[in-house]
Amino acid sequence: MERLDLLSAWQIRAGIEAGDFSATEVAQASLATIREREPRIQAFLQVCDDLALKAAAATDARRAAGQKLGSLAGVPVAFKDNMHLVGSRTTCASKMLENYESPFTATCVRRMLDAGATPVGKTNMDEFAFGSSTESSAFFPTHNPWDANRVPGGSSGGSAAAVAAGEVAIALGSDTGGSIRQPAAFCGVVGLKPTYGSVSRYGVVAFGSSLDQVGPFGRSVADVALAMDALVAGGRDRLDSTSQNVDVGFANCLEDPVEGMRVGVIPSLMEHKGLSAEIKEGLEAARKALKGQGVRIVEVGLPNMDSAIAAYYAIGPCEAFSNLARFDGVRFGYQEPSCETLAQQTAFSRAHGFGAEAKRRQLLGAYLLASGVYDKYYYPAQQVRTLITSDYAAAFKRCDALLLPAAPTTAWQFGHMSDPTQMYASDLFTISNNIAGNGGVCVPAGLGSSSGMPVAVQLQGPPFEDKKLLQVARAVERGIAHAGLFEPNTVAPSFVERGGDGA
Amino acid sequence: MPLSKEDVRTIAEYARIVLTEQELDEMTTYMNDAVRMLQPLREYDLAGVEPTFHPIGNLSNVMTDDKVDANGRALHIDEALKNAASTRDRAFRVPSILGEEGGDR
Amino acid sequence: MKKLNEVLRDWDVTIGLEVHTALTTLQTKMFCDCKLSHDDPPNTNVCPVCLGMPGALPVPNKKAIESIVMAGLATNCQIMPRSYFYRKHYFYPDMSKNYQTTQGPVAFCMHGHLDLEVPGQGANGGYVTPIRIQRIHMEEDAAKMVHVGGQEGRIGGSSESLLDYNRCGTPLIELVTEPDIRTPEEARLFMEKLRQVFLALGISDCSMEKGSMRCDGNVSIRRRGTTQLGTKTEMKNLNSFKSLHDALAYEICRQAEVLEAGGAVLQETRHWEPSKRRTVVMRTKETADDYRMYPDPDLAPFDLSEEFVQACRARVPELPDAKRDRYMAELGIKRKDADQIAGSPAAALLFEEAATMAPECAGLVANVMVNLAPAATAITAAQVAGLAELLRDDAITFAQAREVLQIVDGTDADPREVVDKRGMRQITDADALATTVDEVLQRCPSQVAQYKEGSRKVVGFLVGQCMKASRGTGNPKLFNKLLVQRLDEMNRG
Repeated sequence: MERLDLLSAWQIRAGIEAGDFSATEVAQASLATIREREPRIQAFLQVCDDLALKAAAATDARRAAGQKLGSLAGVPVAFKDNMHLVGSRTTCASKMLENYESPFTATCVRRMLDAGATPVGKTNMDEFAFGSSTESSAFFPTHNPWDANRVPGGSSGGSAAAVAAGEVAIALGSDTGGSIRQPAAFCGVVGLKPTYGSVSRYGVVAFGSSLDQVGPFGRSVADVALAMDALVAGGRDRLDSTSQNVDVGFANCLEDPVEGMRVGVIPSLMEHKGLSAEIKEGLEAARKALKGQGVRIVEVGLPNMDSAIAAYYAIGPCEAFSNLARFDGVRFGYQEPSCETLAQQTAFSRAHGFGAEAKRRQLLGAYLLASGVYDKYYYPAQQVRTLITSDYAAAFKRCDALLLPAAPTTAWQFGHMSDPTQMYASDLFTISNNIAGNGGVCVPAGLGSSSGMPVAVQLQGPPFEDKKLLQVARAVERGIAHAGLFEPNTVAPSFVERGGDGA
Repeated sequence: MPLSKEDVRTIAEYARIVLTEQELDEMTTYMNDAVRMLQPLREYDLAGVEPTFHPIGNLSNVMTDDKVDANGRALHIDEALKNAASTRDRAFRVPSILGEEGGDR
Repeated sequence: MKKLNEVLRDWDVTIGLEVHTALTTLQTKMFCDCKLSHDDPPNTNVCPVCLGMPGALPVPNKKAIESIVMAGLATNCQIMPRSYFYRKHYFYPDMSKNYQTTQGPVAFCMHGHLDLEVPGQGANGGYVTPIRIQRIHMEEDAAKMVHVGGQEGRIGGSSESLLDYNRCGTPLIELVTEPDIRTPEEARLFMEKLRQVFLALGISDCSMEKGSMRCDGNVSIRRRGTTQLGTKTEMKNLNSFKSLHDALAYEICRQAEVLEAGGAVLQETRHWEPSKRRTVVMRTKETADDYRMYPDPDLAPFDLSEEFVQACRARVPELPDAKRDRYMAELGIKRKDADQIAGSPAAALLFEEAATMAPECAGLVANVMVNLAPAATAITAAQVAGLAELLRDDAITFAQAREVLQIVDGTDADPREVVDKRGMRQITDADALATTVDEVLQRCPSQVAQYKEGSRKVVGFLVGQCMKASRGTGNPKLFNKLLVQRLDEMNRG
């Protein structure tokens, strides 16, 4: 019997269609793998055996009835715990929502289920997605499958780790400032932040409404493309005013040649002083991989990128303060017991329901939105956003995609990054396209020569050209594999040797 | 001028988050560090630059039809109340309001 | 305290109104597709969006946007080429997200006006004054809170409060006037006029009683001849035309008393207590509230196309002023009657239909509409026309018309048939009545003598005697005419 935990989503889908194994067998294998590996990884906040087996049984019944199977039929999928799924809690890894039962299902989750995916559980994250290491989860940290002493990145650390550890083939995350791409990079998987508006935000607990975007993790570009097709298949979501139509077809164009395309690099970023040598090696390997396939590397500039962090840490906290104001313990969420007045109940519920980072971001936002302060930071940040967006537009006149680092270093060790503002600065390479809204993807580019941890590169594309972006990402993946640096569909090595057998 | 502990206390009161004295000290340090990070925004000459509040290109005028429960979202009373810590009959319950009042509506 | 008239001699008054109108005629809420509740049990019409559940997102109701654009067009506003929804934050559980979705510095409609006609009183002539409208913006209503354990549902002394989110998210338009209103009477007239316009547009039931139209007022006074604006107070709970007028009148007098005693008016919010006929302090505003407004990132901007605005314009019906003018010009209706009928869409509709049926007596149709129809619950145009014709023919008296109306109200009976069947039709044959007139004159020699001495009042008494003698079947107007004829003949003769 094949090792189901090592199969790609494509292989699972094809195997079920061919009758090599059933969706139920795949679900059981995924659940068994989770049981076996979770003590070391802690990627999941909830495992939903019932939902998984029910969905798998439905897929098997469809097949038995000769009905057409969805594009993700029987593929085990995990969802970041800020996504609503009826039958599960949606906790955002916060004490505030510890017992919150999803009253509805998020559109992104619904679309994965509509494509036949098997929902196996909800993954750990930084509380309300505030963080880059998943350490701010109110419940427990998640460990990097490549080295349990290291963080998986964040905020979608649980989703990245679950995919890297072979617990699921695909997971969804959300990316507000790099929260899909940085954990993907840290865990050696592919993670895409699509263009803002491509994937509905309806049912995803908001952090920064103008920055948040849902996207998939997979162990290959092809699996990520398969998930994207499922996410956009229903057209724009009428429940999300900011969502837009995106045509399906992500999976179709991956193998199209990239010869003649131009990929831009920003010299100042490639030589950024904070970049580790390993990361620079990874970038060089990706550059070679692309050149080897006939891509022209051109130099471009994003002159306002240095201000992206400042713009982001003005806009993000303001939106976060506003979005989290609803957590007052009245309609849902933690309620401080035995309060005599409403004022006490509200202020203590919020004091004891939120963790430290959630409080920091909200207070910063409440300050920045105050009258007299608004004009100093928030408003200029939105003007700088205009400049950054035009920088991108100018750059994309000269190239089809940008190649840049994903993060300054590989995954760091627990406790290494204790100062909040220092952690903010590590988002340098990912946040600018949350500000501009265009897509970005991280692809593994080998293992670090000194850390042994996965090294990734990031590609960014023009808005709503994420298909081409994945095509370039696939070219990097192909070239990196060709150079013997990293194979697609790699499961973290400590798990490859044992466990995870299917039936 | 850096934010004082008292400034931060006022902000916390506004944001309805009770902080201990120690948390207030830490928060004051954090807030000043964070605001320092934002200084590049103040060094720009942004005269004539339009803000981008929504990174959605030219998307505008998004509206929906006036049709009851077209999306099947209405919640049954049990569903509506199930996540509330305190209810009475069909209503959400809050303790005495004492001197507070709503906004300017 | 001095009387308002006295105060107005020494002080100039500045009043601005904020009028909230719930778009009750829509099917659904502002940002979700929950049914608009009227009398449903608590929390019947709620969904993740209006309960402010995490992850829920708003999508604006197109018809609500059309409604506010129509309101703007009907009040001579500019429809702004680009505007945003904003979030306005305050922590209070009646707003499920702890922010209200409203609009920022630019509203859908701005810079409008309504011309107010203030009728004359006694020696004072009437005048027309424009009241400028600063803006009309779109927002959402709050949930209903019931305070348990306190007195009469008030907050003070209550032990707990219960929240019903049925109303939360109801589309609300807020109209803000410039401070152009100078008397409580103007304020009342403005509110009446606005209500008539909104009723004509059909965007709300405009019930002040049910709270679908609510009004707050800002008022300040300054000594005549000075230019320095006084400190203003904000009045809440002006929820009837009478409350609006009386609260403003009270507050103007109160401010004058404070200032005349050398005191200072404080910037505060005051609550009108109709039963005690006074305003009391709700809270003192030392600093302006900081609502941390910013553009709502969940809602795309609006840049309404000329096409969209034109489509709304096409749906704006003839407004009350234009209707009134048309009734006067085309049908010769008295201004006062025309004004009253045109102010109510239902009355106007009924009137126009009835006037078509009885085109030669439109004035009487209007008379029936103004003086009789308001007492009826369900009267048809044919019945109105029938009553008007009966009156035109002097077949019944006005008092009888009222009686007939009561009989036909709620049925489809023809008033003419009712009159005939019940033998109510008055005798309008002069020969038939002449006998009665002669009899009465014979019986009343002293009244005849009085008439001769110049007293015209006695005619009324004699008409009454004739009516009595004919057991109400004679036409009083005709009796009057015949009596005067006879008396004059007797005098001459």
